[in-house]
Amino acid sequence: MKKPLLLSSALLLLVSPATVQAQSAPVKLRFVSLAWQTQAIAAVKEAVAGCNAANKNIQVDYQQVSWDSVQDYLTTSFQAKSVPDIFHYESTPVMEFAAQGVLTDLSKLIPAEMKSDIAPGAWATVTADNGAIYGVPFLWESLITIYNKDLFKAASIRVPTIAKPWSWTEFQQASKKLTVDKNGDGKAEQYGSAFGLRSPTNRIMNLSLGFGGDYFYKDGNRYVVRVTDKERALLKILLDMQYTSKSAAPEGLTAQSPELFAGFFSGKFAMLPGIGVWARQTIAETGPKDLNWGVLPPIKATTQAQGSATQTLSIPAASGHKKEATQFITCFVSRVNNGKLAAGDWLFPTRQSSLRGAPFQSDANGWRVASDSAKYLTMAPYQEVKGYTEVKNKVLTPTFQQMLAGRITLDDAAKQIEKEGNAILAKYYK
Amino acid sequence: MTHTLQPPGPPVPRRPRRRPRFQPARMLMGALLLLFVVFLAFPLLWLISTAFKPLAETFTTALIPQNPTWANFGEAIVDLGVLQSAANTFKVSFISALLTLAIATPAAYVLARRPSPVNRGVLIWILVTQTFPVILIIVPLFLILARFGLVNTHLGLIVVYVVWSLPFVLWMLQGYVSGIPNELEEAAAMDGANQVQTITRILLPLLIPALVATGLYAFVNAWNEFFFALVLLKSPELTTIQVNLSKLRGIEGLARWGPLAAGSLLATFPTLVLFGFMQRRLVSGLLSGGVKA
Repeated sequence: MKKPLLLSSALLLLVSPATVQAQSAPVKLRFVSLAWQTQAIAAVKEAVAGCNAANKNIQVDYQQVSWDSVQDYLTTSFQAKSVPDIFHYESTPVMEFAAQGVLTDLSKLIPAEMKSDIAPGAWATVTADNGAIYGVPFLWESLITIYNKDLFKAASIRVPTIAKPWSWTEFQQASKKLTVDKNGDGKAEQYGSAFGLRSPTNRIMNLSLGFGGDYFYKDGNRYVVRVTDKERALLKILLDMQYTSKSAAPEGLTAQSPELFAGFFSGKFAMLPGIGVWARQTIAETGPKDLNWGVLPPIKATTQAQGSATQTLSIPAASGHKKEATQFITCFVSRVNNGKLAAGDWLFPTRQSSLRGAPFQSDANGWRVASDSAKYLTMAPYQEVKGYTEVKNKVLTPTFQQMLAGRITLDDAAKQIEKEGNAILAKYYK
Repeated sequence: MTHTLQPPGPPVPRRPRRRPRFQPARMLMGALLLLFVVFLAFPLLWLISTAFKPLAETFTTALIPQNPTWANFGEAIVDLGVLQSAANTFKVSFISALLTLAIATPAAYVLARRPSPVNRGVLIWILVTQTFPVILIIVPLFLILARFGLVNTHLGLIVVYVVWSLPFVLWMLQGYVSGIPNELEEAAAMDGANQVQTITRILLPLLIPALVATGLYAFVNAWNEFFFALVLLKSPELTTIQVNLSKLRGIEGLARWGPLAAGSLLATFPTLVLFGFMQRRLVSGLLSGGVKA
């Protein structure tokens, strides 16, 4: 008598409304996003809503965090084990978190279609030596040159094309030609170029790749930093333009790129070289309506290769819903969504099929020339160096700043980088 | 003391008003002060200017916008929900300031009126706690709050703000209580007042300037705080204004300047109004608490 009673009770419990409800309750995920531009936020919200509608069993709450505070936010979240299920960040710090063991290896969770469609160079930025993948790269950017078409026309300068890009020598010559002392006081009122060099390290690292300058080299199973002729090539050009030909505006030495827009809008600077593709949005939206501007293809050194970090989506190891989080990422970075997300931020989608889409091949706002440069993007070696952030903050950035300010020579800078940089790296590669 | 009546004498002739002398040093001082005021006020002027500039004028250097717009306020209020986050911040700041005062006032009284080695040790410990960096305590604090189910709640944030402001408020208040002569309490006792009456009728009225000053300190401290609010509050509808405004900042020094300026202006408004009302009491309170009579 007892057994049938127990069985029927268990059955009743199983089919009771509360149990049914509990079984079908959707899994709740928290997604931390860093999108901050109006269009980008709209694209993220649309993609999240679309994924929530497509899969009722997984419901994602969107939380926006700022770029300024995400490092502290994530560090404390990992330490306190109160993590978001999915978070948006950048490949370099993501790989540093991965080295601490706080991220999920996604290599076996990512669908084959996504794996083959996303550019191999983008995957390299989130892949560890052992093949583990710690994020899905979905956005990246190249460094381009934005120029004032009217000033080029007035100086009769040939505009380089995708088929026939400038060499650095041609770029320097054009910059000199565009530097004009209008009132004859010995000081230029118009400069050919303005580099934003307040935080110069990543820009120098990424552009040096075209000269074959890696800065970080493998020595057995460890990395060392070296400043050879290949690394010096770009530094020599920068110093020449600042101090010898004086065709680069001195304001650039202490400015970040956005601080140079006012000078570009007023015609004081003819070119903004080495600036991210995102800058087009600011120029298109905040520049004078009659400003006639365009985008030049990447300047060719030995090659046009450029290093680039990627914006990524990762899943913390402490997340209780890794499978569902991966399902969301697969939906969020679909071909259509990837294109919309990239267009919203004026960056490139990492999916090659999305990059072939109409918005990225249009001539408006320099999209076609900018998008073409995506094929030169690759992972710079610094991105897989343990302790890079410390070397960058303590050695590279202050040394580059001293050298560019003319306080130390290129030789001194090279010695300082090798000596102090390798001392730090030795701590990480014992 | 005796008073003698004086016979009314002839009216005292009024001294002729002297023409103000030309004082170059005074004028120079005035000019320097004016310059200093302009220097201090300029960021606020720039903030107001940017708040009313349309997107196309963001990078212009003109202080007065050519085509002023309310669009930035609309974006800050509607898209970002600045008013909701301002209301959250006001609630958290106001309650935490009140609680801080409620705890600190009796504690300050005991510390000031019952000097002992233990109390002196407590005062030193209060000072020592001020040297702890936030990053050092955030993780254990988070874990404790999580254990009590206070993460992602305003109550949790209020607890943190009370704990965070309490040492300084306590230190200030005990300095102020020490400055009130003991004789006043003794006189009240002789007039038959019990201890509660002495505190509520004699001491508290005298403490009002100090309570205003330290309460404002606790309020502004909570209003401006960013890091705890960022880490402890996860739901967008609970977020505070400082965290909300940070969402308008991007990478490489970029930001949505117009809405950021408009939101910052709105965020500054409640504290400006509070200071406007309380300024005189605040200054006298700060001066009184800082010196032991």
